[in-house]
Amino acid sequence: MDELFMILTRLLMGIGHLAVILVAAPLLQGFIKKSKAFWQMRQGPPILQPYRDLRKLMNKEEMISEHASWIFLLTPCVVLASTLMAGLVIPGAWGWAPVNVWGDLFIFGASLGLARLFLTLSGLEGAGTFGGMGTSRELFMGLLTEPALLLGLIVLAFMTETTSLQGIITGLQGVSPLFIPRILVLSALAMVSIAEMGRIPMDNPDTHLELTMIHEGMLLEYSGPSLALLNFAEQVKQFLLLLLLAQIIWPSGLISVSDGLFGTLWALGFVGIKVAALGFFFATVESLFVKRRLFRAPHYLATGTASAILALVTLWIIRGQI
Amino acid sequence: MVNKESQTVRQFLMGLSIALAGAGLILSTILISRGGEWVKTGLRFITEAGAGLSLTWKLDGLTVFFLIVLLLGQGLSSLYALGYLKEYQEKNKSLWPFLVNWFLFLGSMFGVLLADDGFTFLLTWEMMSLFSFFLVLYEHEDPANRKSAYIYFVMTHVATVLLTTVTLYLYALTGSFSFEIWAGAVPSLSTVQLNFIFLAFFIGFGTKAGFVPFHIWLPYAHSAAPSPVSALMSGVMVKVALYLFIRLVWLTMGPGPVWWGWLFLIIGALSALVGILSASVQSDLKKLLAFSTIENVGILSMALGSAFLARTWNNVWAMDLAFVAFFWHTIQHMLFKSLLFMGAGNIIQATHTRNLERLGGLLKRMPKTGLGALIGIIGITALPPLGGFWGELTLFQSLLMNTSHLANGWSKVFLPLSIGILALVGGLSMATFVKWFGIAFLGQARSPVAEKAEEAHPIQYITPLIIGGIAILSVLLPTATLALIDLPLSVLRPGNSAMMLSALGTPLNLSSIYLILLILLTAIVFLLTKRSFHRVTATWNCGQPLTSSMQYTAGGLTNPIRVLFTKVLGSRRNVKGDFAETRYSLRSLTYEGKIKEVFEDIFYRPTIRGLLWMSSQIRKLQAGSIHLYLGYLLVTVVVVLILGR
Repeated sequence: MDELFMILTRLLMGIGHLAVILVAAPLLQGFIKKSKAFWQMRQGPPILQPYRDLRKLMNKEEMISEHASWIFLLTPCVVLASTLMAGLVIPGAWGWAPVNVWGDLFIFGASLGLARLFLTLSGLEGAGTFGGMGTSRELFMGLLTEPALLLGLIVLAFMTETTSLQGIITGLQGVSPLFIPRILVLSALAMVSIAEMGRIPMDNPDTHLELTMIHEGMLLEYSGPSLALLNFAEQVKQFLLLLLLAQIIWPSGLISVSDGLFGTLWALGFVGIKVAALGFFFATVESLFVKRRLFRAPHYLATGTASAILALVTLWIIRGQI
Repeated sequence: MVNKESQTVRQFLMGLSIALAGAGLILSTILISRGGEWVKTGLRFITEAGAGLSLTWKLDGLTVFFLIVLLLGQGLSSLYALGYLKEYQEKNKSLWPFLVNWFLFLGSMFGVLLADDGFTFLLTWEMMSLFSFFLVLYEHEDPANRKSAYIYFVMTHVATVLLTTVTLYLYALTGSFSFEIWAGAVPSLSTVQLNFIFLAFFIGFGTKAGFVPFHIWLPYAHSAAPSPVSALMSGVMVKVALYLFIRLVWLTMGPGPVWWGWLFLIIGALSALVGILSASVQSDLKKLLAFSTIENVGILSMALGSAFLARTWNNVWAMDLAFVAFFWHTIQHMLFKSLLFMGAGNIIQATHTRNLERLGGLLKRMPKTGLGALIGIIGITALPPLGGFWGELTLFQSLLMNTSHLANGWSKVFLPLSIGILALVGGLSMATFVKWFGIAFLGQARSPVAEKAEEAHPIQYITPLIIGGIAILSVLLPTATLALIDLPLSVLRPGNSAMMLSALGTPLNLSSIYLILLILLTAIVFLLTKRSFHRVTATWNCGQPLTSSMQYTAGGLTNPIRVLFTKVLGSRRNVKGDFAETRYSLRSLTYEGKIKEVFEDIFYRPTIRGLLWMSSQIRKLQAGSIHLYLGYLLVTVVVVLILGR
């Protein structure tokens, strides 16, 4: 009986974890848009606009290319589902992740990889040039971001001696925020996040110009509910990346029963503030820089990989192990 | 006109092959479930070969594991061949050379796995090379295939020279061919002797496994062979070579110095990277798959390297993890690579081309082949929820454990860097297989042959789907897969592995939960969005009519990779435009892209040139002048007189 109770609690907590992510993701998107509008001296759309956009798209008629196959229709569901799977390993507001076994940091990157696989396949479904363009570029960016992402997370794993993201975040509480390897890892992961979120200087989320688009190119043939799902998945991914970064900068500890209802709510609000601040930061970055050429992307992401490697080297030097 | 007689022969012999594989699998399951000491110590058989020679065989847990891989591969490829060979028969091509060599090839692989002494091993090894050579040569009408087979023949003999030398050397040292006596003699060998033996084994087996830089034959041979043979060569034969590394290097040559482990790790990383980079820019359906085999062998070699390093550093946990990763990946790669080669075979039979640039839109014409291939690419790119990912996760963990176990040193930087390389390899393999699948199966047909393609014979799409089912089962029941992996582990590690397996169960049992959750979430999302009405329209093309040539080509899709790695790939391109009056009106454009085989250029060509130069120097001795020969006679007589004094 107790065991059943345990499983049910875990299940409920897991659903709660995902629910927070699902609800908060469009809000973050709205906030980032508002922040960008602030730097451009505009009013900008209301913060709740992304929800309305999603609802509008959900009720629209869907148009499908005559060349497309069933993979095209399956992709939006798989992309959203696997992005949520990536969310299962990231500790949320209460410092708890539904999946917390050793090695789960690899699940994060790999789940996003599965989403990427289906998205890039769908880019080729329409048999047009734009989709292929998006696919080709996305694959290129994907292979450049992966080493930096993985190496960055691995350095954190060495720092805290665990390979579970929940353990890493909990362990980071005991590490000084000015510890140099930690700062280097942060810069590596921030660079990766910009590329993964499809933001300037790697990609421009606001245009549909063939010279600049990567992510939008793959979505060009989508409309109606499918587009809504894919946009939603992108917002969830953005939220997850910012949540991870926020937790690395300022980890939230594992919540306990003694914190009470107030403590629980406070933790939630605290994470909200952290993620919002990061969102504002990236909106600022996006307002300050211009998009780079595709073939400049390797330099940018190599810098990310290099700072992850430097983080590794400095970690061992500081510990006196080299 | 179908030759009635050869049809019965084909069905009977392939049926026999399947039945034998099935019987073997059932027998090994019974043997395993009964358990006993033989898993660890081994059962011995001796065959008298006459002339005072006897062939000795041994069956232990390690052998049984690889036998199961072989039997599974045999059964599935035979089932597939049952459909695939129909085409040859319709062309009135004699099937006898194929069928006879098929059985002999399979039999010799059994022999290699069971061999327990140097002589038996060399004999069966040579047979395996020879019969696979004949199978590669089966479509000998095409000169390109003859060249491929020739390269394979030469390379495999370079390996054999080394293996024969080292076997005879060990015989000279110990006076016996038995592996056990060799293992006993190892402690008394000097470091130089030991390293010489190791290097000879490394190059010998590495050539067959396809380690870079000894890999050049592999893309030729694996793609020239008929598809069932490619599946068997890529899925099983390279694993046999890796098995020998464990049998002869790990178990016989003992722990060895640290650099052995590093060599496996570095050559593995190099193979993975070079293999997948070359694969990503290929536009030949089967060559791409063959290059990806080199990548996967590289990953397996890295797992072996991690195990060797863990052994010298006394890190049992990392060693166990490395071996679990090794055996897990062995099974998964066998399944997925066979599946993909079968998919490629179906496409080739339907369109009669291996060129990706001429395919497209096949998913609509060959939906079942396409479904199998989709499962295959998810598995081979090491993405969850399928098996490829969980093996790599274990390998990552093993490399991490090795790193944190070390007290200090630069190894603590290089080991994690190899994980970075694996991440890059993962990204590249996604690009490669999105290209392989996307260009062939999605979009519009790029040529009339692709437009007229038809679904293959039922057996030919059911077999890949069966493999996909087995692959999914292996993830759904990770404990069963781990129980299989326990067999070789109990030979390789001291003590009981049950504890280790239960500790390992935590993330690996996640594989089934992950799969179920992913499907559940996808289904929920699918049901929650009411996408009842959709309209089928044309693709948006800025108002212009859409032609099939507007799609991205196979070359174009991975062109950014090619540009980024120009130096490594030795890629060159040549674009020539034929303009009318001005630069702005183009009549035609020719594009030529070339990928050089870098290793052929920097490694093989100088070697061959050196050999030719040496031969031409030696030829000077035979100038054909009678005076010279008289001079030789004089010198010989003088030398003999001096010596016989």
